[in-house]
Amino acid sequence: MSEINLNIVHPLPTCKEVMNHICDNLGEELDSPKCIEIKNHLENCDNCKHYFNSVEKTIEFYKKYNVELPKDAHDRLLDLLGLKE
Amino acid sequence: MDETKLIELAQNGDRKALTELVKLYEQTVFNFSYKICRNKDKAEHTMQETFLSMVKHLNQFSGHSKLSTWLYRVVSNHCLMLARSEKNIGFASFEDEEAVIDEKDIADWKFSPDQITENNELKNILDEAIKKLPADYRIVFLLRDVEGLSTEETAKIVELTIPAVKSRLHRARAFLRNELNKFLSEEMN
Repeated sequence: MSEINLNIVHPLPTCKEVMNHICDNLGEELDSPKCIEIKNHLENCDNCKHYFNSVEKTIEFYKKYNVELPKDAHDRLLDLLGLKE
Repeated sequence: MDETKLIELAQNGDRKALTELVKLYEQTVFNFSYKICRNKDKAEHTMQETFLSMVKHLNQFSGHSKLSTWLYRVVSNHCLMLARSEKNIGFASFEDEEAVIDEKDIADWKFSPDQITENNELKNILDEAIKKLPADYRIVFLLRDVEGLSTEETAKIVELTIPAVKSRLHRARAFLRNELNKFLSEEMN
């Protein structure tokens, strides 16, 4: 009688695969076997951890870089639309 | 007064309600336009065109989607049109997929995102990096990551398939990260 092998081996991800995965799936909660391997790799690889942090920071930088609408641009807009108060 | 009521009143010719709607969204539209154009004059022009379009087409607005989503679409289309009319010199090429991930020079960054408000040098670095992205990649990155829209909403606004949005997002994230890394990496400074 043959036994079923339950220990299916997933090849370990390389750093490049992990970095690609970060750019693909950042912000999405995924729990496939592949994603679990990626998370395990991330916990133990400083290089990939730095990469992950830098991609997260890239997004944060652009989120926090905001500009205020100048008062004169607001006035010109209302004027253009014929809504001047 | 809630937005649906304001839209209904404005559709029936109430100018006060229309003014309120403009005031409700002018900052968001200007900021988003700036984030795409990285230029205050172009951002103001885009904002004006967007609200002119809103006033003109408000009666066609059915309320099935959010007004903000509709405005994002108008801004995006306007900016894409502007980009197509300008010569796209200086945009990065994304033909070589393998070239996007840069495994070299991976170190911590010396600036934190909180420093952006008072650091003009940092602002210039961010402006120059994102200006190198083709407009459709820039818009996908901004809608999905910066404005926080879902992949599905982003796909509808830019009229791309979900896999196409994901592919552009991947490349935009990797490209911007590499560009910023040249200036912000601890090891290199």
